[in-house]
Order: sequence, then structure tokens, then C-alpha cells
Amino acid sequence: MRILYVNNHGGGFADFINIEEGTTIDKLFKEKMPHEESQDYLIRVNRQPVPKDYVLKDNDRVTITPTKIEGARPVHA
Amino acid sequence: MEKQKKLIRFAGMILEAICQLKKQHLRQLQSNLEDFCQKCDGACKESHLFYAAVERNWTGSAEKIRSRISRNLNDFSYNLQRFKEMINADKGKQPKFSDIFAELNQIEQDLGELQFDLKKKTISVVTDPVSLDDISFGSFEIRLNISEICKLYTESPYIVVALEPNPAGADSNVTHPHVSSEKLCEGDGHTAIRRALEDGRLCDFFTMIVNILQTYNPDSPYVSLDDWDGISCYDCGYTVSGDDCYYCEYCERDYCSQCSSYCQMCDTTICLGCAYECPSCNEPVCKSCTAACKECEETFCKDCLTEEGLCQSCEDNRKENENEEQESESEKPEACPAVLSDSVGETAIHA
Repeated sequence: MRILYVNNHGGGFADFINIEEGTTIDKLFKEKMPHEESQDYLIRVNRQPVPKDYVLKDNDRVTITPTKIEGARPVHA
Repeated sequence: MEKQKKLIRFAGMILEAICQLKKQHLRQLQSNLEDFCQKCDGACKESHLFYAAVERNWTGSAEKIRSRISRNLNDFSYNLQRFKEMINADKGKQPKFSDIFAELNQIEQDLGELQFDLKKKTISVVTDPVSLDDISFGSFEIRLNISEICKLYTESPYIVVALEPNPAGADSNVTHPHVSSEKLCEGDGHTAIRRALEDGRLCDFFTMIVNILQTYNPDSPYVSLDDWDGISCYDCGYTVSGDDCYYCEYCERDYCSQCSSYCQMCDTTICLGCAYECPSCNEPVCKSCTAACKECEETFCKDCLTEEGLCQSCEDNRKENENEEQESESEKPEACPAVLSDSVGETAIHA
């Protein structure tokens, strides 16, 4: 089945992806962000917070946004 | 109802701005494509010239053309690579009106009340008070100018306004370690923020900015938290804590210990610029403790002037002159009464 996957980590990603039936949001996170902790991210499905064991449905909209993003001072050449 | 009308109106404005942005991107691609075609034409012309030179055995000309082609090929491959990256870059799908409207509603749900300014065409989100390492910066207003969205690739379309500013001691423009003159330096979030705005994902856009404000990057702030309450030396710019800075009473500026001194006579703190070095004793003194020599008019510290207001050199000169006068007075012979001859009243008679 197909979901809209938006990941604001790094350079950002936003597109439809195919996932297996019965995939939970926790499983999807672990697959897409294997070295990250979910508590460091704001995870929404269809713009709402959901429990970890929420089973994703066709055309669901998943957004993952890091809660800690480091700003910087611009370096001029 | 009024609120919903505003949301609808602004959703329409934002959608149009994003459409303009996409058009601009396509125009940029078009311009790059034309440049690329011109370079290809140039290469074709060089090819014809080269062919003619080779056929006619004009080896000198052929060599010159070869060098020129070689130089142009370096530029060519660079421009080709850039153009390829640009044309392959995925700029995301065009959002729909319903998407933008849903985004605005989600902002209200996740981040609090959205503020609208129809005249200035801005929408704003006010953050909760931000505090990093026990330093409070107050709340910030993230103000997105809808008219500026189309300039996303050249300018930042939003500003971050400190509502209860606690700016850095060294620079009042820095209201947050990563905000200077109301511009946020996005750091790691730069690309994702731009991408979110291109796609019309306004809630993600505002959320990421809030998250940057709530995160401290000690490796690259405008002013570090350690120096936040510090003061910048007016001379060298070094940031010092309030306890380690020195205030010059003459120019009324703050200085570090290296750039300040004190008057050797009255102990007043002065900066090196306001300090005067007495040419006689070479000690730093303040202006109030100086005076001009009445003779040579050069300025000295008051300690180096005599009671008569003369510097040592002039005093020495004066003493020398006095001594000379006294000596010359003592060398003058005494006046003796005239010794008259026997012949009184003689006078010379010329033959």
C-alpha cells in the first residue's frame, strides 16, 4: 500500500512510498531511521499524534520532524 | 467564522505565492538551459574552425583553437554538472488549496494561535518563552511574509522577532545565539525548511524554526551562552564578563583589562586612548592631571612640573640662564677714578 512519507531530517524528503500491509508507525520509523531514537522526533500521522502501535493505512500521511535542529552562525567566504 | 474566512483568504494567498515560486524555479531552469545551448553553439563553431585549420595544415592556428577548446571544456563540464543537478532536483509536487488550509489549521493546533496581517501579508506564530542553559530569551514571533515567498532562493522570506528581548551584552542585534538582526541562521535545518516552504508544508516550516530556537549549537553561535552577559571591549572587541570590564570615564566606554589603564596620579580608570603618557616620567595620566609647561607649552603630568609651572627641562634651562647671568655679572671689572696726568688739560694738537 501507499503512504505519503515526509521526513524533515537532514535535507528533507516528501513523497509517496510503498509499505507492507500491517506496518506500524514504530516499525516504519525503525526502518527509515535505524540509528535514531523516536523520542527525538515529532511523529504525526494525518497531522495527529498516534500511539507507537498505530497500524498505517493506505494513503496515510506520515510526518517525522526532528525536535532538535542545530542552528549556526553563517560563515562568510 | 471570521477566523475561518481569514484562513481561507491566506491559504489562497500562500498557494499563489508558492505557484510563483515554482514558476520562478522553472524560469531559472529555462535561463540555464539557454546558457547551456549557447555554450554548445560555441563548441560547434570552434569545431568548424578547428576542422578548417587541420584541413589546411594551419598547425599554429589549430593549436590555438585546441587550447581554447580545452579551456572552454573545463567550464563546460562544470556548468553541465550544475545544470544537471538543477534539472534533476525534485522540487516537490504543487500543493493543493486544501493542503494549505489544513496546514494552517494544524499550526493553530500544534503551535498556538496564528496571527494574520492582511496589509503586510504576513502570518505569524508566537513561540513559548525560550530558555537555553538557564538564560531566558523570551518569546519570539516567527513572521512569514507571503509576498517574499517567491524570493525564497535569494532571500529569507521570514524574520524572527524577539518579543521580550534579552540580547547579548556584546551585540544588541543578537537576541538568540542563532538569531542576528531578526534573521535566523538555520544551520542543519536550512534545506528542510526551504523544502517545507516549497511544498506548502507550513506547519513543518514553523515547527522546524521553533525547534532551532529551542536548540543550542555551541559550535557556531553568533554569541555563545558563556559570553551572553559579557561586554565587548570597545577597543579590541574581546568579550569580557561584567566583573572584568573597565569603564573609561572620559570616553564613557567599556574596555578589557588589556585596553585600559589608570591614572598614576588620581587612580581614575582610563582607556589607553584617553590616557596621556607624560614625556618626562612616561607614566599614564588622565587629562585632568596634566598641565602645560609655561615655557615650552608641552603637556606634562602635574607632578613633573615645578611650582612655577615649568617642566624639568625648562627649569634646568632657567637655572642655567640665571647662573650665567650671575657669572657674567661677577666678571665685570670695577670702575676706577680717572688718573690725571701732570699736564692738566692737555689736548692733542694736530700738525
